[in-house]
Amino acid sequence: MPESTPQFTKAVKRASAADVTALLGAFCFFLSALEYMVPKPLPFMRLGIANLPILLATDLLPLPWFLALALVKVVGMSVISGSLFSYIAVFSLAGTLTAALTMRGGRKLFGRHISAVGISILGAMVSNAVQIVIASVLVFGEAARLIAPPFLIMGLVTGTLLGLFAEAFAKKSLWCASAKALLGKTGKVHA
Amino acid sequence: MALRMRIRPLDIIIILVSMGIVAASAIWAYGPKSGDAKVVIKAQGGEWIYPLSTDREIKVPGPLGETLVGIHNKTVRIEDSPCPNKTCVAAGAISEAGQWIACLPNQVLVRVEGGAEDAGIDASVY
Repeated sequence: MPESTPQFTKAVKRASAADVTALLGAFCFFLSALEYMVPKPLPFMRLGIANLPILLATDLLPLPWFLALALVKVVGMSVISGSLFSYIAVFSLAGTLTAALTMRGGRKLFGRHISAVGISILGAMVSNAVQIVIASVLVFGEAARLIAPPFLIMGLVTGTLLGLFAEAFAKKSLWCASAKALLGKTGKVHA
Repeated sequence: MALRMRIRPLDIIIILVSMGIVAASAIWAYGPKSGDAKVVIKAQGGEWIYPLSTDREIKVPGPLGETLVGIHNKTVRIEDSPCPNKTCVAAGAISEAGQWIACLPNQVLVRVEGGAEDAGIDASVY
C-alpha cells in the first residue's frame, strides 16, 4: 500500500489506536495491582490511580477504543482484586463507565477551556456518586448517605492529584505527543 | 523544558462546585442528626412535630378526649390519657430515635425521630 494515500493513513490510525489501547490497558492492570496493595481506611475506598490511563486516553483514543479501554480497566481491576464474579464488579463497571463517558463528554463540551484536572475531578465525582447510589440500592439503603461525604472528599482530593499528574505528563511526555500525532489528533506536538 | 501547568477557569469552577457538593453531602449525612431529635405526634386530627429539646405540655385531641403529652428534660411521655387501662402512661418516657408510645383507644401515636440514631448499641462481638 503506497504511503500517504487515505487508506494508508486510516490503516495506520487504526493500528495505532489498537496499540495505544493495548498499552494503556496494560497500565490499567499494573496500576490496579498497585492500587490493591495500598491499605485503605474503608473497604471500597480507592485512590483511583487505575483511572490514569483512561484519563490520558480521553484526549487520545477514538470513542470505541476508549470504551474498550474502560472495560479492560474494569476487568483488570476485578481480576486483581478477585471480585470479577461478585456484585462488587457491578460497582466498578457502573462507576468506571459513567466516569469515562462523563470525562469524554466534559472534554467534548468544554474543549480547551478545561484541563485534565477538571476532567479528572468530573470523573471522580461522578464515579463516586454513582457508586454511592448503587450502594444505597444494593446494600445500605438510606444509610448510604453516611458514607457519601468521606467518599466524595476522597474522590475530590485524589481526582485533583491525578489530574495534575496527567496534565503534567501529557505536556511533557514524548510518547503522548507521538501517540497524538499518530492518531491524528490536532494537539500540538511538544517535542 | 519549562513545565507550566495551565489550570483553566473551568477547572476552578469544577473544584468549587465539587467542594459545594461535598459540603452538601456532609450536611445531608450528619447535619440535622446531631442532637436535633424531634417528637412526632400522630393523632386523629393530623400530625404535629415538636423539638425534643424544649419542655412543654401538649393536649392531643382524640375520640375519647384529650391525651396529655409532656416533653421534659429531652424525654417525652404520655402523662395522662382518657383510655381505660392507661398502658400508654405506664409505658413511661422515651428519648431515642425510633422509640414510640401508643395510646390505641385514643388513637395517639408518639414517636421520636432524628437525633443520634445509633446511640444505643444492641450488641457487639469481639
